[in-house]
Amino acid sequence: MAEYIKYVDVTKCDGCRACMVACKNWNDLPAEPEEFQGSVQSHANVTANTWNVLSFIEHEDSKGNLDYLFRHSSCFHCTDAACVKVCPEEAMHYTDFGSVNVDSDKCVGCGYCVQNCPFDVVQLATYKDKNGKEYKKAQKCTMCVDRLEEGMQPACVTTCHTDAMEFGTQEEMLKKAKKRLSEIKDKYPNAMIYNPEGVGGTHTIYVLAEKPSVYGLPEKPKVPTSAVVWKDYAQPIGKMMLGATSMALVGAFVSNKLFNKEGKGHEEDGGGSHE
Amino acid sequence: MSNTQYSGVKVKRFSMGFVIAHAVNAISFFALYITALPMYTEWFDWLYPVLGGPEGARLLHRIFAIAFVTPTFIWLIMDPKGFLRWGKELVTWKKRDIQFFTEFVKELFGFKFKHVKQTFFNAGEKINSLIQIATAILIIGSGFPMWFPDLFPKAVVQWAYVAHNVGFGLAIAVVVGHIYLSVIHKNSRPGYTGVITGDVPAEWAKDHYTEWYEEEVEKGNFPDLDKNKNKKKGA
Ligand code: SF4
Ligand code: SF4
Ligand code: SF4
Repeated sequence: MAEYIKYVDVTKCDGCRACMVACKNWNDLPAEPEEFQGSVQSHANVTANTWNVLSFIEHEDSKGNLDYLFRHSSCFHCTDAACVKVCPEEAMHYTDFGSVNVDSDKCVGCGYCVQNCPFDVVQLATYKDKNGKEYKKAQKCTMCVDRLEEGMQPACVTTCHTDAMEFGTQEEMLKKAKKRLSEIKDKYPNAMIYNPEGVGGTHTIYVLAEKPSVYGLPEKPKVPTSAVVWKDYAQPIGKMMLGATSMALVGAFVSNKLFNKEGKGHEEDGGGSHE
Repeated sequence: MSNTQYSGVKVKRFSMGFVIAHAVNAISFFALYITALPMYTEWFDWLYPVLGGPEGARLLHRIFAIAFVTPTFIWLIMDPKGFLRWGKELVTWKKRDIQFFTEFVKELFGFKFKHVKQTFFNAGEKINSLIQIATAILIIGSGFPMWFPDLFPKAVVQWAYVAHNVGFGLAIAVVVGHIYLSVIHKNSRPGYTGVITGDVPAEWAKDHYTEWYEEEVEKGNFPDLDKNKNKKKGA
């Protein structure tokens, strides 16, 4: 199946927050009253029950002019996703569309994904079962995979009235991004396409008007080295060592039985062996 | 050469403090191991229902984590002398310790070997102790940032997972070997009852920890087995 990308052109966004509402609405996410953030922004960051937050940034550009920047923020759906790498239950997984999703049945709420996402996207939501016992599950933007499966587009994309967001095949969207970048370079000399290589590229790509850090994004995000060492080396070697130690012990046990006859107490022989 | 038949004369090898500390250490380690397995590899996911779900497993893991930290203090408080001897022996390495290993390999696989004179802890036990101290530091030290991620920088938390994994891998390898020697391998087995009751057969102690045994004989704490033997022969 072809891979699909959500393309976000922040220079077209007017900060209406319809995408936030559409996301809450489609995904049935509870409201989360928040403290005043000191700006028009509603939440500091995406949370387990708010998968899509519009960030509002007051930015002074190189000429000293005030620029009001907006960014629809949600999961990046990394091609090489740290959350998928570290998840011990294979709850975090890649979908056929190239996006990343959580299988809530498999998730045990360990939070390994939370600690390793380079963008601070995924969070744990707390639920209560029938008996009042609390449990946790990782939650984040699903790229509306349930809509994609029905041939629809993500709710946030459908709702966007300025066409700041589009959804389509990887090829198409990357082309669109490049074209748009050339159009806005004059107005925004720092403009760039944000599709970081350190995570193998993403399935939510941005045309940013300013450097990533202006938007509170890491300049060069990557899958944490620790996650690579842990999952690609330490754990496989650990499993092998467990196996090897057990084999050595079996070996030692067998060779003891074979070579160490004289040490054997006679009472152990029962009546079975007569030399 | 070994001899599994002992005269029945027992001597005191381990203090109460050591016996308790060792038991708490062993039980909590084993419990930590079981409660962590399903998170370590999906092969053990069937343990979740047994442990009361992922939440139950995590809660138990944290309770036993606290228990796992206590043995050092139990031993130190109940038997400071024994604890200090351990510490001293761990940093004292002599030629006999190296010799021990060449003979030990033969013994492990059931071939003929000779006993190299050892002090209270033989070279193998010293290595075991050292690795277990190192792995315990790795495991406990990395456990804190994993338990309280909000108190630590993100990079520390991320590397803690690596350290916890490496510590666990090493510890389990060493522990499996340690248990094998005490429970299955017959020449070391009296050590197993010893660590539970505190007492071991005198002949075994003399064979395996000759220097220590002779010291205690000199102090008048232990019977002199050679004398007894000679007497028997004479009778
Ligand atoms: S942004 Fe974070 S949660 Fe989303 S796919 Fe990448 S690593 Fe996973
Ligand atoms: S919290 Fe859930 S999705 Fe995240 S790593 Fe743990 S099991 Fe996987
Ligand atoms: S793709 Fe769907 S889940 Fe993700 S932010 Fe948009 S509406 Fe929300």
